[in-house]
Amino acid sequence: MTPGRDIARSGRRQTAALAVFLVVQSLGTVFFIGDVIGDLREDPTSVYFIFEALVTAALVLGILFGAVALRRTIDLLRAQGAALDVARGALSEVIDRQFRDWALTPAERDVGFLALKGLDVAEIAALRGAAQGTVRAQLTRIYSKAGVSGRAQFAAFFVEDLLGQGVPPAS
Amino acid sequence: MAPPRTYTQFRVQPPRLWDPVVRLTHWGIAVAVLVNAVMTEGGSLWHVSLGWAAMALLLLRLVWGLLGPQEARFSAFPPNPVAAVRHVRELMVGKAGHYPSHNPAGAMMVYAFWITLAAVIVSGLILTAGDTPMQIAADKAAVASGDWSVLIDEGEGEASGNDETAFRHTNEEVHEVAANLLLLLAALHVTGVFIENRVMRRNLLAPMLLGPSDRRR
Repeated sequence: MTPGRDIARSGRRQTAALAVFLVVQSLGTVFFIGDVIGDLREDPTSVYFIFEALVTAALVLGILFGAVALRRTIDLLRAQGAALDVARGALSEVIDRQFRDWALTPAERDVGFLALKGLDVAEIAALRGAAQGTVRAQLTRIYSKAGVSGRAQFAAFFVEDLLGQGVPPAS
Repeated sequence: MAPPRTYTQFRVQPPRLWDPVVRLTHWGIAVAVLVNAVMTEGGSLWHVSLGWAAMALLLLRLVWGLLGPQEARFSAFPPNPVAAVRHVRELMVGKAGHYPSHNPAGAMMVYAFWITLAAVIVSGLILTAGDTPMQIAADKAAVASGDWSVLIDEGEGEASGNDETAFRHTNEEVHEVAANLLLLLAALHVTGVFIENRVMRRNLLAPMLLGPSDRRR
């Protein structure tokens, strides 16, 4: 599904950017630390040294906070991905149960799933290696078992549950 | 013997894609080590700069080992030589388990590599007296402009006896040997990945690059 993939992709781009930033920060900081240690050996009481040490400490803190923030982002993205998988799994379970309630045959269940995914008759026929006439007949049987008028109502049957709120009554 | 915490045969999958910090530090260190081993001249500005860069990446990876996500943390791949040997033995009969992070043999490789890399870095720092690349560049510029005084060691004279020369020599030796050991470990690591790939049909390379191909699009 495209939305899920888009979320994953933008999430990956975001974490990658944060990680690159963290690496660059580390590279800079390590040189600073080296410089501070060098100055420490020369004159630890100079104002220059004290300022440099403070700046370096701030840089190190920045890296640590950056690392924690990145970890949180990664965890969040994973949790979202997992939730999406659960939702997906839950929906397909709902559909499966409904198909059984309608007493669809295994072949009809397959065709029904493909139809819900938005494939047209020709595509379903090609996928299943069946004639288009067969698929059309199966779809008709599915609609009659489900008691829906056609493809639009068939798809709407499952979407309706997801929307979660009724159609406002015409006043 | 009770299996270690990380050992489960059921439903535990290694990461499909390592997080970007792990990947960046991995390839960054790989490039730094290889370039410093074969291309740059020891003591040159490039060599020292890359050494410092490798130090930064190693430190970041160690911080990440404490703060990073589950599979990147030290706790996910504790050093366990017994489990490592068992993993290799299982690999030979073609049925090694899955682990949520590095497999036990891989974990031992990771720690061996980090320790050796640390030895190379520390001995390198001693060789350059802890000078940052900036200082080395400044010294080189000074020498180029005719001021040779920076070449004179402060400790030079009566104070520096045979002990110091011996220490310097040993340190140089350590740097050299550890660097070669590092290359050996890297070769061993590549072999391990290759074998795992062949025997277990597990692609360990993709998670370290861009992830499995079906998720890349």
